[in-house]
Amino acid sequence: MAAPYLVFDGIAKRFGGLDVVAPTFDLAIRRNEFVVFLGPSGCGKTTLMRMAGGLDTPSAGRITVDGEPTGRPDRDRGMVCQSYSAFPWLTVAQNVAFGMRYRFDLSPARKRERLDHYLQLVGLADFADTYPNRVSGGMRQRVAIARTLAAGSEILLMDEPFGALDALRREGLQLELRRIQQHDAKTIIFVTHDVEEAVFLADRIIVFSKRPARNLHEIDVGALLGPERTIELRDSETFFRLRTEILRLVRASAGDEP
Amino acid sequence: MGRPVARAAMSRPSRRRTPSRLFAFRADLPRRTSAAIAIGSSLTMLALWELAVRAGWVNGTFLPPPSIVLATLWRMVQDQHLLWHAGISTLRVWGAFTLAVVLAVPIGMLMGGFRSIGAALEPMVDFIRYLPVPALVPLSIIWFGVGEDTKIFLLWLGTFFQLVLLVADDMRRVPQDYVDIAYTLGARPAQMLTDVAFRAMLPSLFDNLRVTLGWCWTYLIIAEIVAADSGLGFVIWAARRYMNTAEVMAGVVTIGLIGLVTDQLLRRLHKRLFRYL
Repeated sequence: MAAPYLVFDGIAKRFGGLDVVAPTFDLAIRRNEFVVFLGPSGCGKTTLMRMAGGLDTPSAGRITVDGEPTGRPDRDRGMVCQSYSAFPWLTVAQNVAFGMRYRFDLSPARKRERLDHYLQLVGLADFADTYPNRVSGGMRQRVAIARTLAAGSEILLMDEPFGALDALRREGLQLELRRIQQHDAKTIIFVTHDVEEAVFLADRIIVFSKRPARNLHEIDVGALLGPERTIELRDSETFFRLRTEILRLVRASAGDEP
Repeated sequence: MGRPVARAAMSRPSRRRTPSRLFAFRADLPRRTSAAIAIGSSLTMLALWELAVRAGWVNGTFLPPPSIVLATLWRMVQDQHLLWHAGISTLRVWGAFTLAVVLAVPIGMLMGGFRSIGAALEPMVDFIRYLPVPALVPLSIIWFGVGEDTKIFLLWLGTFFQLVLLVADDMRRVPQDYVDIAYTLGARPAQMLTDVAFRAMLPSLFDNLRVTLGWCWTYLIIAEIVAADSGLGFVIWAARRYMNTAEVMAGVVTIGLIGLVTDQLLRRLHKRLFRYL
């Protein structure tokens, strides 16, 4: 087993006199691992993800990357949120380029190269000069993903990024995301309450209790499904059984049996 | 045989839909129809006004008909330097307004972006905001005399404190997601403010500026009535002294026209600048 990379160490979070995250939450994520936080809405899994991004502070404990405590938010931990967060005042290409705005280490030529690369990667090259209000929700979400990828974050924090999309676009983006993660070797925390999405994407699923958040179960999906994910996998017996089993765990945890 | 019947049946609902569109809730209206209605209703109002005076329903000394107001307006342009007065007033408005904007935008952004600064300034701003500008005229004259300074100060007073709170609210309405995204893309707080928050709030800021510019004209008249020998407020107030109602109304109409033109220009500019909305 590889060394831990992104580590939640003894985390607790209280807000307004209530526990948002039950003390204490511990989790070690390996480099290039795709971890899905699965749990009921409002259970505190998003709060945990935001803490990893430096956008929220734990009441106790610490979060480290490669042994170093994470501080304020920065480019090393990129985020994609649930809402369509492409900046409306920038075109698709300008949005993606914005991801590199604070990369002073890249030459303009290199930036242009990367811009083209990421526009291609998410299939938006034909819409480069279009404003986000002219493209579909799925495209806007791809803009946001390309922008975060262009920034060069090692770690991606994704909060139900496909939540508002129709089933078909969702499937397409899931495939793309999994491919990008394998190809560019990203470490991903992906928050969702969709069991099928979780099984399809994850190397490992963490099933959360309802609020306050506690990790009830861990499922090593990678060991069962392998790294390669295809559409056909969705119809396979293994996938189906895994999905049913996890759905049962989720149902039970919504009733909050430890 | 069946076809023409079907076509007739299909064309009927579309024919019936046209008139009802005018009063369908939130229904689209063609630009031309909309413009025709606007012009038509304005002309009707003017005609009624004209008729009311000519028919003797109201006394023409107190309410001169539009034809006389218009004629007076033209005469004032030729003989009384009305355009020069209008120019002076416009300069005063824009001077004071610019001063208010330059100060209100950064201060408002800080108030909306940082709770501590908001907490520190809000009570003061709220207090001054509710002081009626005319109540501060005596103080203003004691401080600045009766020159341009007083006028600029009064206009500034009337707009700055309103604007600063509007800007702060615009800033508060910038989606948190944009802020979070900016930070996780490596922006420092100052960069987040200028590159993301400011850009995100710009359309609503522009709208607020357009509205407060209108208020500025209200205070201008007060300032020019108090102490001035130029400007539209002076013209109106001087005409009042001789009970020259037509000149008073011509002055008022001039302000209205300037307001209308400025507002339309700013609306067009808004559309051009924020095509992405």
